[in-house]
Amino acid sequence: MPALDWQGVLTGQPVQWILSGFLTTLWVTLAGIIIASSLAILFLLLRTAGGKTGNIVVSVWVSLFRNTPLLVQLLFWYFAAWNWLPFTLRDYINSEHTWSILPGDVWWFTPEFLCSAWGLGVFTSAFLVEEIESGLQAVSRGQRQAALAQGFSSWQIFRFILLPQGLAHAWQPVVGQYLNLMKLSSLASGIGFAELTYQVRQIESYNAHALEAFTVGTVLYLLTGVFMGLMLGKLGPSCTKRIQRAPKITIATGSENA
Amino acid sequence: MLSGLFSRSAARAADFSHLEHASVEFRNVVKRYGDHQVLNGINFTVAPGEVVAILGPSGSGKSTMIRLINQLESLNGGDILIDNKPTRALTGTALRQLRSRVGFVFQQFNLYAHLSASENISLALEKVHGWTPPLAQARALALLEHVGMVEKAQHYPAQLSGGQQQRVAIARALASSPQIILFDEPTSALDPEMIGEVLQVMKSLAHSGITMIVVTHEMQFAREIADRVVFIDGGEILETAPPAQFFQHPEHPRTRRFLQKVLNPLHQEQP
Repeated sequence: MPALDWQGVLTGQPVQWILSGFLTTLWVTLAGIIIASSLAILFLLLRTAGGKTGNIVVSVWVSLFRNTPLLVQLLFWYFAAWNWLPFTLRDYINSEHTWSILPGDVWWFTPEFLCSAWGLGVFTSAFLVEEIESGLQAVSRGQRQAALAQGFSSWQIFRFILLPQGLAHAWQPVVGQYLNLMKLSSLASGIGFAELTYQVRQIESYNAHALEAFTVGTVLYLLTGVFMGLMLGKLGPSCTKRIQRAPKITIATGSENA
Repeated sequence: MLSGLFSRSAARAADFSHLEHASVEFRNVVKRYGDHQVLNGINFTVAPGEVVAILGPSGSGKSTMIRLINQLESLNGGDILIDNKPTRALTGTALRQLRSRVGFVFQQFNLYAHLSASENISLALEKVHGWTPPLAQARALALLEHVGMVEKAQHYPAQLSGGQQQRVAIARALASSPQIILFDEPTSALDPEMIGEVLQVMKSLAHSGITMIVVTHEMQFAREIADRVVFIDGGEILETAPPAQFFQHPEHPRTRRFLQKVLNPLHQEQP
């Protein structure tokens, strides 16, 4: 086994690249999660309240984006769909926008960032729709009836009664999808998006420190995943937390029956 | 396609915001599930402020009858008049407004599992009736006080016994000050020891001006608290009478058989 030379990746230009790529990965993950979650909510609404047409639209969306490779989707958005945008808009996005610099010198208003975040968001939304849907199915029918009887509108029932409970049921699989999104952002290197994987490969061609560079990259992905999983699990809604949060627990059924 | 999805408050439109006469009138009401006829032309009127108990064997259509009033089920024929106004054609905002003015208590309580007892009550006040959070919270606590549950205001449904949940559910149904309240077998899912506390709350409510329609198997409630007892079987009303007459001199043979079996299950004629 050859001796590892960490200096080759953890100093000078390589470490700059790794840092920049890592922060880019974090930002595109965040943007992708926001897009995926918004789209998922939108399509869930369409399925609940959109009648037959809405149902068909959602089914097509889900099967299209769940059954095609993400890399193909990213290439499609970047090389094909991009050209359908009006020329002036493309031109505008292509020019420099210093206002779009995120902390860590990540530019978000660029074709690569936008296509990556959108592609990852669309892909993940297709999975989220089905997972949150199954969480909603687990909410008992009586909850909906009680809300109907109180005069809530369909949107209010969804927003205040069904979604909070459905999300709590589906939270673990949803966190899994967010983690997938973070890891799959590596595929965006395929459209020249300078995230972590792209930068690590750049080091490899720069000074041939492939083993060290990929090790550092892998460790960064691993740490991000573990940290995200822990945080999302802690912050998210959960069924058991309801019990722990309330003051002085007296499970009344037990004492009254005794 | 998304009609009715984004309109907010049900309380603002004009029609059912205040009932002049909290009366309920069934006119030739027909309900079918597929080929199965559940109600065959029910005619029946409940006066404002009256307490009516609906009795009948399982599957007789008695729950369906009250679920039709606030359209948790839809009619197949006839109409139901509330405040002398037909309700069958109501949809959207008007229907939500009617529902927001009619309390409904379920057999399975159906408290919102993710909300505390007080949040269960304040949610509709805020979102449907447009109250501010502090007012809604104060109202929720007052109602919980009324049903003897104020100490459990911060508890979640899973932390409450069946009887306690049902008391919170009654408080929730009363939040919007409805003039009509419907009970769908409110004690049937309870342990025997907890039936009393729920019946007490219902008793305190009876004859306070609110119109009460109670589907129940509690003969004692029907006998002591109801103004009238309705006996229903096979989708038809077989007998309507004040409780004293109903329990002492039942007229219909089917009523007599029912009462015999329910009141005296160990000493009945062999079939």
